[in-house]
Amino acid sequence: MDLALQLLFTGIGIGAVYALVALGFVLIFRATNVVNFAQGEFSMVAAYLMVVAVEAGLPYWAAFIVALLGMALLGVVFNLGVYYPLRHRTYLPVIIATIGASILLANSVLAIYGPQPQVLEGWFETPGIQVGPVYLDSQYLLIICVTICLVIFNFWFFEKTLLGKKLQATSQDKEMASLLGISVSTMIMITFIYSAVLGGLAGILVAPVLFVSIQMGSTIALKAFAATIIGGFGDVAGAIIGGLALGVIETFGAAYISVPYKDGFAFLVLVAFLIFRPQGIFGERVAEKA
Amino acid sequence: MRLTRRDFAAGIAAGIAAPYIIKSANAQGATIKIGMCAPVTGPAAESGGYAIKGAKLALEAVNKAGGILGKQGELIVEDDQTTNPGIVLAFSKLASQPDIVGFLGSIRSTQVHAMAPDVIKLGKPVMIGGTDPKLTHMDNQWLFRFRPNDSYSGRVIAEFGVNTLGKKKWAVLHSTDAFGTAGGNALTGALEKLGCTTFDQGYANQSQDFTPVVLAIKQSGAEILGSYFTFENDLGIFARQLRQLGVNIPWVGSPSIVNITALKLAGPALYNTYGVADYAEDSSEGSKAFGKIYRDAVKVAPDNQSSWTFDAINVLSAAINKAGSTEPAKIREAILAIKKFPGAEGEYNFDQNGDGLHGYNIVKNEKGKIVFDKHIEFND
Repeated sequence: MDLALQLLFTGIGIGAVYALVALGFVLIFRATNVVNFAQGEFSMVAAYLMVVAVEAGLPYWAAFIVALLGMALLGVVFNLGVYYPLRHRTYLPVIIATIGASILLANSVLAIYGPQPQVLEGWFETPGIQVGPVYLDSQYLLIICVTICLVIFNFWFFEKTLLGKKLQATSQDKEMASLLGISVSTMIMITFIYSAVLGGLAGILVAPVLFVSIQMGSTIALKAFAATIIGGFGDVAGAIIGGLALGVIETFGAAYISVPYKDGFAFLVLVAFLIFRPQGIFGERVAEKA
Repeated sequence: MRLTRRDFAAGIAAGIAAPYIIKSANAQGATIKIGMCAPVTGPAAESGGYAIKGAKLALEAVNKAGGILGKQGELIVEDDQTTNPGIVLAFSKLASQPDIVGFLGSIRSTQVHAMAPDVIKLGKPVMIGGTDPKLTHMDNQWLFRFRPNDSYSGRVIAEFGVNTLGKKKWAVLHSTDAFGTAGGNALTGALEKLGCTTFDQGYANQSQDFTPVVLAIKQSGAEILGSYFTFENDLGIFARQLRQLGVNIPWVGSPSIVNITALKLAGPALYNTYGVADYAEDSSEGSKAFGKIYRDAVKVAPDNQSSWTFDAINVLSAAINKAGSTEPAKIREAILAIKKFPGAEGEYNFDQNGDGLHGYNIVKNEKGKIVFDKHIEFND
């Protein structure tokens, strides 16, 4: 039982990271109908920005704000440089462009900052607390809390605010949204900014656990992409549930079946979903939209 | 001026012959070229940078001392991207240059396995740092190893843990790649010979979480941990989680446990651990000399990533000079004939398989400082 509780906590913690990145995938997919394969690199870039800001002597909170502002700027540049020129083309050139952009981002960071993995200290001086038989890593606790807050924020933002509804309208039918006076290009710009910030947030939060390296984004993004499919592509709740489920499944699979095949469990679940429920857990709503 | 048939024929002949003459001239050019596949990008890019620096420092010294066959040595580096396809591509690019006389391959056994078939086809000497014992025992006469292989590291870890630390109940943790599997098998085999019980646990490279591994080790009731990690990121994450989850048993690791990147990432989580290290700065005069040269030039502490490439260039250059030729077969004979050659990693005595070193150092991490304990050499 003690073992299961510890695994559950860790699984939810790592799953929350997948969920944050998956959320970025979903938001961009809803707005543009394309998958942004550079979403993982957003996490990596933000983590490096955070390291640079901390090394420059900024207090941790200020470095955090600077890194997120940097990500917002990257979202603008990404939209204008990668999506906007190809917006009237089919989804394929845009997806290929996002793959190219992810390679460019990774190699740009490599060229600027070098290949050295970096250590980013966590928010708290205490690495964690022991609650009965379970050790709660303070960084994972923070990640879980942030994910819960974001779920609530997303619900409020998309369901209760005018801007959120405009974003939803744009994602559902661009032409109709445009006829209703919504600036589609502005909404898409906002979506890219929000997704870049979300991806960045995931990177900054997970950096003290996984270290800051060029590969950190692609490693997380692959799982987050699987989580998005499991949850139902295009569904915010699906991304969160898919991410958490994936984290828990791979952690328990590793502990009770086989450690070397840990990644295999995640992708086994993905394959099972693709065969038996390709629309994902919350797939019906996407089908209605289509 | 009238163009005669003879002038025309001469012109055509010169045109056809010119590229070959130029190529030939280049082949016999002003430098002796050595190719190097190194991870310039990918997860091992940082340690790849150290490897390149080690090789360059050696070549600088060789050139100052008169060069190779009276010519200056030149290092041609290709990025292996820290992947198997990457190193195959990098090696094929280098192999297509006929004027390269010898090569430096990878410190990663998996990558050496990937490039090995092409090495046989090319038939030129390749210096390697991969420690999977099979690499020099698979009928590939062109691979020469500049680090002791894992049959030695496994035996040294086992002997130290059992005879010095007095522990008989072991957990053996290893990567499931070629290096980790070979190392894990070597350690388990050595422990079984010493009458120990072992709990074997593999893991896949680039894992983001080691909680299940740590809990499995905890539940096994092991008194001591032996490990073979391929990547420093993995080692760093594991070390932190091991300590966080309250596992404080003694830990003796393969050389990656004492390399610079791992020490930086894991920090205090690796304090008081032991490692087998092919390079230990205080283990010999050659090691000390290399340490000084490297610190002066690179401004960081040396480790095995740079020491093996340093030795590989020195040995290859010495062998070519001794052979008096860049003919591959003669270089091979000269390398195999090398005995008592003082290197940064220790004294090289090549056997007929191409293994130059036959022992390991034991070192301890004392609050982040790597302290030499003892050297264990095998003669069998």
